[in-house]
Amino acid sequence: MSQWEPKIVAFLCNWCSYGAADLAGVSRMEYPPNIRVIRIPCTGRMSPKFVLGALREGADGVWVSG
Amino acid sequence: MGLVERKATHRRYAQAIPGAFAITKRGTAPCRATCPAHVSVQGFIALTNDGRYREALELFKQDHPFPGVCGRVCTHPCESACTRNAVDSPLGIMYLHRFLADTDRASGNPYVPVKKPRREEKIAIVGAGPAGLTCAYFLAIEGYQVTVFEKLPVLGGMLTVGIPSYRLPRDVTEAEIQVIKDLGVEFKTGVEIGKDFTVGQLREQGYKAFFIGIGAQECKRLGIEGEDYKGVYPGVEFLREINLGNRVHLGDRVAVVGGGNVAMDCVRSALRTGSKKPFIIYRRAVEQMPANAEEIEECREEGIELMTLTNPTRVIAENGVVKAIECIKMELGPPDKSGRQRPVPIKGSEFQIEVDAIIPAIGQETDWACLTDECACTLNDWGTMRVDKVTLQTSDPDIFAGGDAVTGPATVVEAIGAGKEAAVSIDRFIRGEDLFAGRRTDWTPVQDVPLDGLPHVARNPMSLLAPEVRKTNFNEVQRGYDENTARAEAHRCLECGVCCECYQCVAACKAGAVTLETHGQKPETITLETGAVILAPGFEPFDPSRFDSYAYAKLPNVITSMEMERLLSASGPTGGHLVRLGDHKEPKKIAWFQCVGSRDLNRCDNSFCSSVCCMYAVKEAVIAKEHAGDDLDCAIFFMDMRTHGKDFERFYNKAKDQGVRFIRSRVHTIDKVGDTGDLAVRYVTESGELKTETFDMIVLSVGLQTAAETVELAKRLDIELTPGHFAQSAPFAPMATSRPGIFVCGAFQGPRDIPQSVVDASAAAAAAGEILAAARDTLTVVPEKVPEVNVFNERPRIGVFVCNCGINISGTVNVPSVRDYAATLPYVEYATDNLYTCSQDTQDRMAEVIKEKQLNRVVVAACTPKTHEALFQETLMAAGLNKYLFEMCNIRNQDSWVHKHNPDLATQKAKDLVRMAVAKVGLMQPLKEAQLDVNQAALVIGGGIAGMAAARALGAQGYTTHLVEREALLGGQARHLFQTPDGAPVAARLDQLVADVSGDPNIQTHLNSEISAVEGFVGNFKTTVKNGAQEQVIEHGVAIIATGAVPLVPTEYSYGQDSRIVTSLELDAKLKADDPAIEELGAAVFIQCVGSREPERPYCSRVCCTHSIDSALAIKARNPEANVYILYRDIRTYGEREYLYKEAREKGVIFIRYSLEAKPKVSIENGRLTVRLTDPILGRPVEIDTDLISLATAILAPDNNALAQFFKLPLNDDGFFVEKHAKLGPCDFATDGVFLCGMAHYPKPIDEAVSQGKAAASRAVTLLARQHISTIGQVAEVNPALCSMCGVCVSICPYSAPSFRAATERFWPGRAEINPVLCKGCGLCVASCRSGAIRLKGFDTDQIFAQLFALNEAS
Amino acid sequence: MSKDVIGSVLVVGGGIAGMQSALDLANSGYYVYLLDKSSSIGGVMAQLDKTFPTNDCAM
Repeated sequence: MSQWEPKIVAFLCNWCSYGAADLAGVSRMEYPPNIRVIRIPCTGRMSPKFVLGALREGADGVWVSG
Repeated sequence: MGLVERKATHRRYAQAIPGAFAITKRGTAPCRATCPAHVSVQGFIALTNDGRYREALELFKQDHPFPGVCGRVCTHPCESACTRNAVDSPLGIMYLHRFLADTDRASGNPYVPVKKPRREEKIAIVGAGPAGLTCAYFLAIEGYQVTVFEKLPVLGGMLTVGIPSYRLPRDVTEAEIQVIKDLGVEFKTGVEIGKDFTVGQLREQGYKAFFIGIGAQECKRLGIEGEDYKGVYPGVEFLREINLGNRVHLGDRVAVVGGGNVAMDCVRSALRTGSKKPFIIYRRAVEQMPANAEEIEECREEGIELMTLTNPTRVIAENGVVKAIECIKMELGPPDKSGRQRPVPIKGSEFQIEVDAIIPAIGQETDWACLTDECACTLNDWGTMRVDKVTLQTSDPDIFAGGDAVTGPATVVEAIGAGKEAAVSIDRFIRGEDLFAGRRTDWTPVQDVPLDGLPHVARNPMSLLAPEVRKTNFNEVQRGYDENTARAEAHRCLECGVCCECYQCVAACKAGAVTLETHGQKPETITLETGAVILAPGFEPFDPSRFDSYAYAKLPNVITSMEMERLLSASGPTGGHLVRLGDHKEPKKIAWFQCVGSRDLNRCDNSFCSSVCCMYAVKEAVIAKEHAGDDLDCAIFFMDMRTHGKDFERFYNKAKDQGVRFIRSRVHTIDKVGDTGDLAVRYVTESGELKTETFDMIVLSVGLQTAAETVELAKRLDIELTPGHFAQSAPFAPMATSRPGIFVCGAFQGPRDIPQSVVDASAAAAAAGEILAAARDTLTVVPEKVPEVNVFNERPRIGVFVCNCGINISGTVNVPSVRDYAATLPYVEYATDNLYTCSQDTQDRMAEVIKEKQLNRVVVAACTPKTHEALFQETLMAAGLNKYLFEMCNIRNQDSWVHKHNPDLATQKAKDLVRMAVAKVGLMQPLKEAQLDVNQAALVIGGGIAGMAAARALGAQGYTTHLVEREALLGGQARHLFQTPDGAPVAARLDQLVADVSGDPNIQTHLNSEISAVEGFVGNFKTTVKNGAQEQVIEHGVAIIATGAVPLVPTEYSYGQDSRIVTSLELDAKLKADDPAIEELGAAVFIQCVGSREPERPYCSRVCCTHSIDSALAIKARNPEANVYILYRDIRTYGEREYLYKEAREKGVIFIRYSLEAKPKVSIENGRLTVRLTDPILGRPVEIDTDLISLATAILAPDNNALAQFFKLPLNDDGFFVEKHAKLGPCDFATDGVFLCGMAHYPKPIDEAVSQGKAAASRAVTLLARQHISTIGQVAEVNPALCSMCGVCVSICPYSAPSFRAATERFWPGRAEINPVLCKGCGLCVASCRSGAIRLKGFDTDQIFAQLFALNEAS
Repeated sequence: MSKDVIGSVLVVGGGIAGMQSALDLANSGYYVYLLDKSSSIGGVMAQLDKTFPTNDCAM
């Protein structure tokens, strides 16, 4: 059996963290490919329902950044 | 050195705009220009090189029906004109088309051109020689009914009866004539016009036009005594007899008189008919013989004697039969009209040679028996037909003539050229068209073919039958090229015209965009009437190939920085793989040499600094390490490191941390290291030590210079230039040239980087706008809107476009598998992948696909929506889709780029992201955007140079402008400045600017005022301006931040302890005041970088080097005896400011470098002011007693926090405002409607502040001029039925978008509603609504859940 | 200001500076003729790989 890898859902603010994630790419930084990003217009849009939803859908971690 | 071959038909790069292809033509290749038939030589050679022999032959036959014949007997003027003559030897052009013809003939299916629709007109051709046959060939293709009349029983004229078959085998000629027969041309042999038929009779039979191509078949007489004796055979007759199959034996000793090809043919034929000793008598030297060199050579090989400089004087006979020929020796005298040296007989040198026969072959003339009375044609004095040179029409309108009959004895190819031109004329004559219109007569060949560095490649020799095998028979001597030889020979072509004119593109272009007409396009002159001109011609990179010292031209691993950019680029020739050009080895050590073509009067003429090279070299070194790994050794050899731009110093420091080596030295020698391709570099360190180091690759950091053609342009436009060939302008009007109405921006204004160019560009636009304001909106057109398709209630039909982004994505992610996976997802109707989805042609195709497949939702999996969403949305709109029916999925910045070592998982991630995007986009609905009026007033905060420049630009364009200044006076820091680098006092011009601002009725100045509150947003700001206790609310649509900067108050160098220690600005005050103490100074010391480039302030203040040098020069001017020292870390007199540095050194200002670790020490002892430091070159301590110390203090950002809060603007670590984009948005903010200029952005000199002030105004005007702006569609919306009127949304919204409906409203009174104009779509209200009454369009809860659900689906 | 001012501008050069001028003018209500000797706009910047100091892609 292969090593367990977590599945992480990231809710990123369009204006800051999403842009930062883009910049990480431009700067060719590397990070593990376990993250799936959902772009939101602002972390103000974030609702606890989304966190719960993500966990219910199999996410091992939820990251909200903005 | 080129990195990659570019075809003549090209697009500069995949994302090029416009995306259409272009064809590069340098001009007509000399071969084509020189060929009388103007065969597209470069074209058929290119096709031959490509192995497309049939196409090559077809191309040849568009211009010339006899590739096989001319491939054997042509005098090939094309080869004499071949550019390759200047390199080694010309191409074997005729051998190549011979190869094509032979290949075609051997194929068993020879090419016959396609005829145009039949025309009934009959045309008579008189004479079946090359001219007549060619004319018949082209007229038959045009569809005419052509009949050829020939006196002899055989066809071909001289081709058949003049040229011996060992040179031109009969079957070659016959095969090419057969094609003409196949085109439907009728031949009548044994018919003599003038005898059997007359032209008049043929006219009666319905012939509409005539072509006379009867050649020159009658031998010229020698004109000597005894010419009529038996045994004298005219050459042409002799050849004719042999060629007609009649055996002629002349005896063993045969004298052939003449030096042309006919003479050669005669003498070699005589040999072949059994004569033991035929020989040539020619009156000039071998070099002057008109015969082909090959012919002469082959004669010699066959043992034939060439008796040159000999002229026959008399034929001696015995019993009426030739016995001997008397000749006289000749010598070469002065040149005659033809340019050849005239032969002159040597008196008394007569001698006799015994011969059995004599063949005169000194030329031919025409028998004009065909011209009967009904022909109105006339002959000229030489007995040839008089015709128009272009049309070949004779004095009788329906009679045309060409070939030897017109020119006298000439070449086959000239006859063919004439036949072709006559066919054009006859066609026009019959159609009643102008015979002259549009005919190309100018065939000037291209001149400027680059030949430098071309390797020598020998011409492929023709294989010949051995002399002993060939000389007894008429077998063909030249055996022709085989395929490999032909390909190798074709490969030698230099492609002089760039486009080879093979016209394959014409056949290939389905759109009909490329035609023969487009190939014939000529430069056109267009006249435009415009209100202003902006010059942005840019620069050219300095070309180091002329300078031996850099060995650039000789060593393949010495490259320029431009080439390095391409090597590092993912879309470059190696796909971003860093390798050496010479041997494709991955380099381990790379050196950059700075100042190549800059700051250098010895090796080039550019003494200015190119401003950008230091930064780009550091960048290339950093990127190279990123590409090749950290162990790549990068060394930059430099004089001064000039990282004077915003955030540049930090970048430089970071590069040092990353291990880039910086070596302060100018390299003097580069040596090859054996055959390794490595390069040994010898240089002297600062301490005087000679070092040698070996590198794999050297990058020359080439400077910027104005191209010669731009200098020419400036001359034509009457624009004054600086000594460095940049546009001359003044610091207070940097975008104005010396000619009113013509403005300048970019690198032509002076060497500069991208942000400065962008600033200047906007400034130039503002300057043009100022003079054209009255005509605004008079010539523009509003783009048509594509009506939106109603997709309401339609089932989703989703299109997925996956981008390769060159190799940026496909280098890591398996794009085809993502594409194929996307096609399997629900509702996906179409999935594809593109090399560059953002390229114009892909965009066009995407719009077509949307319409064709009736897609109603689109997903693009590519880079980031932050840069490209708007572009793709425009494409949706062009296809009639609402732009919100779109989702982007980020598989580059957030996938391929960050997981490059994990391609499988990156591909899996891409599939997941596509699946999530597809799930989301299916739930998208068309959204509406609200319109918003833009208040037409502007607010400028800060009344310094930049703020005033901005206000002036706005006022001049007719906008009400409020200029708010904290102080009691306008002018800002410039009020403290003494002079600009051009030596003009600042005060006078500053006063003028203040007067202009004060006098502008559109500008309201608010002095002693500060901003105390800002409400609203782009287009509708309400700003409270406070003047003491007084408050005023200003409504404005845009705001410009021009709050400037302040000088550091130094804490080092004993500042404040002695009045002789001053700051730069304090020294300016002294200079302004003409302080007499200046003239008394024994010594003055300037200390640079006081507070700048320090760990706590890691930026360069940009202006101080120039300022100090300027002040030093001012001191020197007033007091030349003063010892002036400038203690510096790097001198940063960028651009043409470098001249000041040079002048200062020339005037004796002493520059001593110090390092951050060993700063100068200032001491005051008993009134003695002393500066001590270590001279890095001498390595010794230096002590300077001085009377003045000027500290070049750092420029600091003032406390901008309040303003930043008001307008929601970011500040950087140094307190300066952060612009929207470092390169492309230097005057914009991420916040719409707010703009940035002057030192609030970064320290800068006056010219740059003026420029940015105007630029900010220009940016603001682009908003004001629209008058309305559209808001976003992704806004929140209340479902009033669910609203519980709790008011959380109203209180929580930062933009005040939600409010309660009035209690008096008929529907839903008291419930919340959201103003879509104010809503920014942040979603705060949505998340906080406890009733679930608010939704955010475009980021709806069900959409986010759809993404989450999709996440979990197994793929 | 005289009435016969012509509301168009000729911009010579389609590099970054020329393009920015042209865009600003067009968005400010002036008709722009953008001239370039090459077959596409973009100038030298289009040949660059990354731009300093942010290392953004030059395209």
